[in-house]
Amino acid sequence: MSAHVDGDSIITLEKVSKGYRTSAGVRRVLDDVSVRFPRGKRIGILGLNGAGKSTLIRLLGGAEACDGGRITRHGRVSWPLGFTGGFQAALTARENAQFVARIYGEDPGYIEAFTQEFSELGSYFDVPLRSYSAGMRGRFAFSVSLACNFECYLVDEALETGDARYKEKFRRAFAERAAEASVILVSHNESMIRRNCDMAAILHEGRLVLHDNLKDAMKAYQILQTRPRIAA
Amino acid sequence: MGGRATGDLPTVTDGAPPIGWSGVTGALATQCRVIRALILRETKSRYGEHKLGFLWALIEPTLMVILFVAFFALTRSSSVSNMAVVPFMITGIVPFSLFKDTMSQMQGAVTSNKALLGFPQVTTFDVVLARGILDTAVILCVLAIMLALAQLFGFEWRCEDPLGVLAVCGLLALTGMGFGFLFASIIPVVPSMRQVTSLVFGRPLFLSSGLFFTAESLPPPVREWLLWNPLLHMMELMRDRFFVEFVTGHGSWSYAGSFAVTTFVVGLLVHQAMRKRAVIGL
Repeated sequence: MSAHVDGDSIITLEKVSKGYRTSAGVRRVLDDVSVRFPRGKRIGILGLNGAGKSTLIRLLGGAEACDGGRITRHGRVSWPLGFTGGFQAALTARENAQFVARIYGEDPGYIEAFTQEFSELGSYFDVPLRSYSAGMRGRFAFSVSLACNFECYLVDEALETGDARYKEKFRRAFAERAAEASVILVSHNESMIRRNCDMAAILHEGRLVLHDNLKDAMKAYQILQTRPRIAA
Repeated sequence: MGGRATGDLPTVTDGAPPIGWSGVTGALATQCRVIRALILRETKSRYGEHKLGFLWALIEPTLMVILFVAFFALTRSSSVSNMAVVPFMITGIVPFSLFKDTMSQMQGAVTSNKALLGFPQVTTFDVVLARGILDTAVILCVLAIMLALAQLFGFEWRCEDPLGVLAVCGLLALTGMGFGFLFASIIPVVPSMRQVTSLVFGRPLFLSSGLFFTAESLPPPVREWLLWNPLLHMMELMRDRFFVEFVTGHGSWSYAGSFAVTTFVVGLLVHQAMRKRAVIGL
């Protein structure tokens, strides 16, 4: 679909397959999919509920292995950011930030300071995460990931956290980063993709199609949504 | 293992053959970093939250030793086949934890750390091994501290062969880690396994592994049966290496050693084979 050469893509998928067993039989999330995600773009991935968006983003980040084919990451890719993200509720934001810094080989002092500053959590920074609201958790997760300076940010519909002012702050920060870094954002919400992305792909029934143009993607997604669903 | 994301290297491919030495050393460096971070995190969440912290790790085995020493004092003399009761109990109860606590901590590692598995470089193997290392280290510290305390309070002992004692500790830890890896991958898929393990590995082993007796003191038919238990061999060897006064006629290095190594290898292999399902099973 897209005419990008290997050199300027951030993640490439070659003939990737992924499925998992459920009580209702094997579910195919990806079926022989080949896609190149270009570098320096904000890419949305749209899919109906249950299309396998979260599995896809875990595959892109490397948290899960694919059954067949290969996924290549050309640069530092973040963990999938979102509510489910890997933080320990019993530990404070500071301790969680230190953990992230250590596993990514970053300077814990810098990561800690940046996160504290950017998240605006104040004295809550030294309180265990379990007493945070969802919005505060989201703020923390995004701040840590911004501190790490990834080349590609994977986002699992979590931009919708926090109050309006803070949402705006993140949108600006991400837009800034997107000058050098890529963002891949999965969502079932079109308007969120329209606001935050330059281009979009659609995940449906094991196929992933990347449209160069946001408008084309939206049109295709609308057709998909109006079609009657055969099986839940 | 081409599936490990390093975060260091510019290009990381899943499902590709190994990239050569730089890839291998890079992955190894990442793994060490991850395990270190996990150990620090686990230490903090386990001992950092309470005011008493690490003291708890010491209090439980100390109380247990005091309890059993008191029990022995009521019923019998102050020694077990020439070994003083206090060091006898310490070298039984604490090393047994190397097997028991390590195993039970490791078997819950995947379930209680699943949030961390969202980070691509953190694998179930890392999470389980980190707990194994931490628990082994903590129990070895507890052993050293309790022996020092015993000496301080006038219960004298002299260790015949410290290296031998450490070797037996190694066997106990290896056995515990083997079962730990095994159950850490099975329990997320078959949760009822937890009840089975606590039933089999709980009281029966605690009572039959020679924590409170020597194999020699048992009636021969019972002894013959109990000597199938490799942990009894390890306890016998532990006392043999620790006490000048005691020489075991029953503990076998080859039996205990081959059991420990086999358990460890089988545990690792099963864990590797099950690791995908262990995560999905959550």
